[in-house]
Amino acid sequence: MKRLATAITVLLLAAGLAGCGGDSGGDSGSQGNDPIEVTFSGGDVTPKGERVDVSTGTITFDVTADEPGTIHVHSSPEQEISYESGTHSYDVEIDKPGVVEVESHDLDVVIVQLEVK
Amino acid sequence: MIIQTHGIGGSQDLPISPILAIAGAVAALTISFTVLAVAWRKPRYSESVGDPAPRWLARLVDSAGWAIALRVLGLLLFGYLLWVTYLGPDLLTNPAFGMFYVLLWVGLVPVSLAFGPVWKAISPTRTISRGVARLARTDPETGLVGYRVRLGYWPAALGLFAFVWTELVSPRPDELGTIQLWIGVYLAVMLVGGALGGQQFHEHVDPFEVYSTLVSRMSFWGRRHGELVVRSPMANLAMTPVRPGLVAVVAVLFGSTAFDSFKDSPEWLSVTQSSSSPYLLNNLALIGFCLAVGAIFAAGTMATGVGPETRRRDLPGLFAHSVAPIVIGYVVAHYLSFLVIVGQTTLIQMSDPMGNGSNLLGTADWSVNYWLLEHPTLLANTKVLAVVTGHILGVIAAHDRAISLLPKRHQLTGQLPLLFAMVAFTVGGLYLLFAS
Repeated sequence: MKRLATAITVLLLAAGLAGCGGDSGGDSGSQGNDPIEVTFSGGDVTPKGERVDVSTGTITFDVTADEPGTIHVHSSPEQEISYESGTHSYDVEIDKPGVVEVESHDLDVVIVQLEVK
Repeated sequence: MIIQTHGIGGSQDLPISPILAIAGAVAALTISFTVLAVAWRKPRYSESVGDPAPRWLARLVDSAGWAIALRVLGLLLFGYLLWVTYLGPDLLTNPAFGMFYVLLWVGLVPVSLAFGPVWKAISPTRTISRGVARLARTDPETGLVGYRVRLGYWPAALGLFAFVWTELVSPRPDELGTIQLWIGVYLAVMLVGGALGGQQFHEHVDPFEVYSTLVSRMSFWGRRHGELVVRSPMANLAMTPVRPGLVAVVAVLFGSTAFDSFKDSPEWLSVTQSSSSPYLLNNLALIGFCLAVGAIFAAGTMATGVGPETRRRDLPGLFAHSVAPIVIGYVVAHYLSFLVIVGQTTLIQMSDPMGNGSNLLGTADWSVNYWLLEHPTLLANTKVLAVVTGHILGVIAAHDRAISLLPKRHQLTGQLPLLFAMVAFTVGGLYLLFAS
């Protein structure tokens, strides 16, 4: 029993150290994010479900749409963008790391998943 | 800003780093074989493990007043949930969503781990059934006709599946009507069943009770001939009664949590969103995950030599308790931040459920503490640690059962297939945490 406990402790420590060591590599250059282009036309949207890496801060959506609508940004707390028809830019602020789904509920589609670091 | 509908809980956790996933997988693998190689050769977990609880504590929790207080608490909480579910606005600011999907479903796990079979103690439907039995002068334990114990936990497995299906696959989990329907059906089944089958019915059929009681097996609280004892969770776990359907219960719990990770992966999203019927695909995937977990586990337990006194097809049930720690570890990994963040949001909303500016619980002007989300490395490490810990405890529980059950010459080799099955669950779980 004691041998088992010791062995498990050692292995857990090793795993823990490996985990900590490996996770410190994220140098999030918070120097602005490239704008994300979103196009609505004819009841469809592009992109559709792509994963996009961004850093915390301002994220700009360049929205081109044939009719006005709403984009839901499932950040914590949640946000939404009401866009008009034509091409316009909209900013949202995301200040916490996480995966944020950006959806159109009218189309019931995930437009992008922001991997915010 | 008020969001009209859709989407419970904001952002999701970042994927864990590949190095962390690999470290977790390697740890799980090596520890598994270490357990097999160096652990005890005689079963250690039996009812005799554990010491009597302090006398004042035993006297308190066994008193009639305590039992009644908990039932009243359960009725109050459930009454509140009914009030906001049926009379509250269909907005995401309605705490019904958070109470149902987060506080009840996810919160049940830590509360049962800490305090034992909590739902059994507070279950509002048990209380109502007890009242009905008193009025109708029937036996509260068995009701009018009793419960067919041969059905075991199968109905609960079905109920648990109904819950995860509603949350993960149903077309509109975030509309109040969905919760209204779910709770309405739940109440009807529990009250009719409770009148017919008494408290036995609740013990086997109520999905929340079966989930809570299973998780409570990993708490320090147990009973020996009715006496409250403090004992090793592993010994408690080994006392889990073996009944039909237990494998299905753990398969649904583990399979659905894994599916929840899987469904947000970019790969699956691109498959469903380019398909003409994402709804059908998600249904098939959820069922597929639960069936796959059950099948892998059954195969892993049955691929061993057995003695003449053991039937091979009884083996999955006899080992099913060992999946409970794996389920708990994975639920912690998957739902920790969800519980902490949306749980706080829900507590705040509960002060003003009707959106008229009231402050019923004094929590209305709290703000959500996002500390956990601001420390993603800590969160990721905690998740992997939870998964690996659950895996180790599961392997130890299975080992102890194997040496008490299998004939000597199969004890070591007979454990290998199950060990591989568990490693597959853990590595698969870690992979999903990494890939979604």
